[in-house]
Amino acid sequence: MLAGYGLIGLFFIAVLIFSLALVVIPVVLRYLGIVPARPGGVKQSVFECGMETIGRTWVQFNFRYYYYALVFLALDVLFIFLYPWAMKLRELGAYGLTAAFILVLIVIIGYVYAWKKKALEWK
Amino acid sequence: MGLAAAFWVMAVFAVAAALLVVSLRNIFRTALALIVCFIAVAGLYITLSADFLAAAQILVYVGAISVLIILAIMMTREVRQGNPANRPLKLPVLAVAVVLLGLLVYVVVASPWQVSGTPPLAPTTGPLSRLLFGSQGYVLATEICAVLILAAILGAIVLAKEKEE
Amino acid sequence: MNPIIFNLEKLPDWFGVLPEIILLVFAALVIILDLFVSQKKILAAVSLIGIIASGALSLGFWGTELSFFNGLILTDSFAVFFKLLFLGVSFLIVLASEDYVNSFRRLQGEYYALLLLATTGMMLMAGAGDITTVYVSLELTGISLYALTGFLKDRKSTEAALKYLLLGAIASAVLLYGLALIFGITGKTGLGEIARAVQAQLSGSASVSPALFLGLVLLIAGFGFKIASIPFHMWVPDVYEGAPTTVTAFLSVASKAAGFAIIMRVITSVFAAPDWLARDWATVFAVLSVLTMTAANIVAIPQSNIKRMLGYSSIAQAGYLMVGLAALGSSPFPGALAGMSPAQSGVLFFLASYAFTNLGAFTAITIIAQKIGSDEIADYAGMGRRSPLLALALTFCLVSLIGIPPASGFMAKFYIFRAAVQADLLWLVIIAVINSVISAYYYLRVVKVMWLESPPSAEKVPSSALPTVSLAVSCLGVLALGTIPGLIMKLAEMVNQFMP
Repeated sequence: MLAGYGLIGLFFIAVLIFSLALVVIPVVLRYLGIVPARPGGVKQSVFECGMETIGRTWVQFNFRYYYYALVFLALDVLFIFLYPWAMKLRELGAYGLTAAFILVLIVIIGYVYAWKKKALEWK
Repeated sequence: MGLAAAFWVMAVFAVAAALLVVSLRNIFRTALALIVCFIAVAGLYITLSADFLAAAQILVYVGAISVLIILAIMMTREVRQGNPANRPLKLPVLAVAVVLLGLLVYVVVASPWQVSGTPPLAPTTGPLSRLLFGSQGYVLATEICAVLILAAILGAIVLAKEKEE
Repeated sequence: MNPIIFNLEKLPDWFGVLPEIILLVFAALVIILDLFVSQKKILAAVSLIGIIASGALSLGFWGTELSFFNGLILTDSFAVFFKLLFLGVSFLIVLASEDYVNSFRRLQGEYYALLLLATTGMMLMAGAGDITTVYVSLELTGISLYALTGFLKDRKSTEAALKYLLLGAIASAVLLYGLALIFGITGKTGLGEIARAVQAQLSGSASVSPALFLGLVLLIAGFGFKIASIPFHMWVPDVYEGAPTTVTAFLSVASKAAGFAIIMRVITSVFAAPDWLARDWATVFAVLSVLTMTAANIVAIPQSNIKRMLGYSSIAQAGYLMVGLAALGSSPFPGALAGMSPAQSGVLFFLASYAFTNLGAFTAITIIAQKIGSDEIADYAGMGRRSPLLALALTFCLVSLIGIPPASGFMAKFYIFRAAVQADLLWLVIIAVINSVISAYYYLRVVKVMWLESPPSAEKVPSSALPTVSLAVSCLGVLALGTIPGLIMKLAEMVNQFMP
């Protein structure tokens, strides 16, 4: 079981090495004199990273995003509870089903409220 | 052996990230360091054979709470440089934290903990589901958590609503 | 007769939380109705019906001693006493909020719903039989109260909510750490199982393991936040001043009573044996009590805002209550902790008396503030002429807070102090009595301003019907507890017979 996580760990190490290599290799090549250093406007522009920004990037975001984040968080926590139940659906039987139903029902009230109060609407 | 090594690597990552959280001046970088700390803690859970908890940690903390924190920073203006008012408290806070750390380490080392003889379960999701939803488990606490989420949704929307008129 | 009565062992689990379920259903009803009706008074009526229904069902558990959900929840008379107390408080608060809710504009439905949810959490706290239910119900109460604190949405109210949330989160983390340590050292989550494990570990030894010790200290700190004992009181003045006045009343009465309920569930009954362990935490409570009473009473004297002053006053009252907890731990009666302890019935009586008294005082303040638009004590000048009955009610409640007969505050202090003297804590009682005398100064100052100073205008201060009813009920309660305490004490003693 834990060996599986070992593989994930190996994967992370590989990712780290790969991404570090991408940064380090050009620097090393340049240091060894294999690649000439000729900085220019085109070379230093952003490549395939979207539009150039106009003005400051740190603008104040609309706080309406916050509602979505909040409601998403609540849903996320609900999911944490429902996932184990779904794993053992058969074994837990009617008792577990009722418990999960009540769980969802209670949270749904909150969602109906958020919906009806237009917290999820973009004005 | 490998497990212990993984534990210590994760522990070092977690502590280093946590130290960055309290010492960095730019609050956005602080948030990023906090995410690293969350991930490292998830790694700790894995080395302690709590796989579901690790997944929950990634999903809720790394996935949702960090989004919430970053959104909150992006919604405020010009507070990214931290609060200089707290600077005089740095040394006293450090002293208290060190004393607390010493105390906790002493407690952890010197106490006769209840150690279960059974080997760790793997995977833990099945037994957890019996505890959360089984008739012999903590189903009432699970339902109270749902009420807690309801209260949190209500409260959050009330507090985030702009004042009328 | 219904066969269910005979078959107590076979009751379905949900039966044990029926009062809470009813209250939750009504809270949900309020939330849903709020979306469709424009006449918000209906919501108050629905809340009141829910509270009454829940109270009636709670009463049905009086005298039983059952556990449900494998011990997650207990329904004994102790739990019923507190459930009725919380329900009574929220009933009176809903009544007293009749006019006040207008300042929340469109958020009235949320106000009632969160009030009911907070009450549900407190009721679950009173019946909690397992550290998991202790923690989640505590959080349910906390989250609802944080939101309620910020309802006015002005600068002070928002600041109060933020402070309460941040400090509350820290306190809850401290508590969780303590619970984790205790779980780690005993390996159990049920309160009864923990008590047995602690007893087994400590029998024959003379010292506790560091983890159990630290766990106990962290529990006291976490619960100390809830009851606002010094030094865990930092949030009180700002939160009490900034929160809506009705919420302040709820916080100062119900939240504090819930804190004491959970302390008596978790600390004073689980760690009751062996004797030396009980004496250990009793000493902690005695020291905290002295600190709390003295500091709060001295700081209350220069306060000019009446909500702030009552905030410090409520901290001081927690100090007197902790005299009872100290007596509970150092009681010389062998094994008296579980049985007929006068200290425990004293604390319960004090909480009931304090609930009526403080509710009365805050209701009077709510009514007055609605009209004169100020919480400053100086603005209360001549209230005795502008609104004699209101001033009389407030005076009566303040007199009860000092502890002068015939108000109930006197009997409450009498019972607790007597229990403390019996437990060889005479020094603590002397300090408490000195403190009562100090406190008389700032309470009577309000009385003096109201009756002896001339009013800035002769305009009457009218009050609407429901808040007045709430005020009248509170004052009658104070009078009843003060003049016929025997009856209530009998009930409180019956509670003790059934404590585990």
